Amino acid sequence: MLQERQAKLLREEIEALLAPLSDFAGLYDLVKEPLIRARRGLAIDAAHDRLWPLLPLMVCEAISGNYEHALPAAAAIQLLKGAAEVFDDIEDADSSDSLLTRYGLAAATNTATTLLVLAEKAIARLKGRGVADSTIVRVVDEVNSYYATACAGQYLDLSLAAGITISEDTYLRVAAMKSASQVECACCIGALLATTEQQFISLFSTFGRNLGMASQVANDIQGITGGSDIMNRRITLPVIYALDQTDGQARSELEAAFRRQCEAAPDPAQIRDLLFGVGAIHYAMIKTEFYKQRARDVLSEAEAAGASVERLKLFLE
Amino acid sequence: MESQALQELVRRIFGDEKTRAQFTSNPDSVLARFTLTEQEKRAVLSTHARLGLVTSDSPQLEAAIEPTIFWHAPIP
Repeated sequence: MLQERQAKLLREEIEALLAPLSDFAGLYDLVKEPLIRARRGLAIDAAHDRLWPLLPLMVCEAISGNYEHALPAAAAIQLLKGAAEVFDDIEDADSSDSLLTRYGLAAATNTATTLLVLAEKAIARLKGRGVADSTIVRVVDEVNSYYATACAGQYLDLSLAAGITISEDTYLRVAAMKSASQVECACCIGALLATTEQQFISLFSTFGRNLGMASQVANDIQGITGGSDIMNRRITLPVIYALDQTDGQARSELEAAFRRQCEAAPDPAQIRDLLFGVGAIHYAMIKTEFYKQRARDVLSEAEAAGASVERLKLFLE
Repeated sequence: MESQALQELVRRIFGDEKTRAQFTSNPDSVLARFTLTEQEKRAVLSTHARLGLVTSDSPQLEAAIEPTIFWHAPIP
């Protein structure tokens, strides 16, 4: 099966990048840890979870019919995602199972930095796959631009964290910068390595942006149903909708639950029921579907222009 | 830009029994009263067809969102 072959080749590419660290077993294990989690490049997952690390390869293949020359770029995206997650854990400090919690700040920071440097090395390996220097320079520029946007989004998110009144527009802007930009980057790089036609590069970048937004809002829903975002008082789209649409007792309960200065721990079951009751989860579900509809429309446009998008539709099931 | 019409639609469905009943029996008739984009209308109808009104956690809801959370690693 093509996906299994792509996943195997990607794992081998990542392993080759990690190989020089094998003399330092401790560091090797630390760096590998974010990459073996579910939905990551070295994970052995269920069929659907295996898909996402392959996104740049699938975009490249949809346009050009080839993908192997894009393997170093797909590996770079995985390493960057790993670095971003470790840095995110350091900044949020809200996970009981993070590298920060288990190994301390210095080890976690060094691990994230190593992942970043390895991502740069991964992109340099495009040369060995026959990719033109001018294309490699453009890949470096796009990756750095997207991740600079993600850093700016993280900065905005951190600066908003203390407040409880965030508009939906602001929230969606931060989500687009911080989270969806990384998915957009994966798709843009896949397209860049397939073609010089700007039409395809723009279409697949837009596909990635909408896919990223759908993923972020779906993650927001799971953060409520699973209770983690309630316990961490994380204000996400369902909460913003509910704060905007409720008044009286319901609004007071929400404000108390999500105000960081409030000492009493929120009751996840009570807040979850309240959010379901006012339609906040239904609203977020519609928004998830809205972004998926947009992504579907973009894929249809790309298909009409000659791309083979059937496999990419798997992301929109 | 956020969609005020979409927010208003959901607010009415969840806050007004009559609108909720109308939406459940004939979603198109309720949608016609709101200025939604085509993609928003399709999103509303697709969500309704798949899940009905989402009023509590369910295996169907989890099944609908789980494949979409491909970018985020599971929370440890």
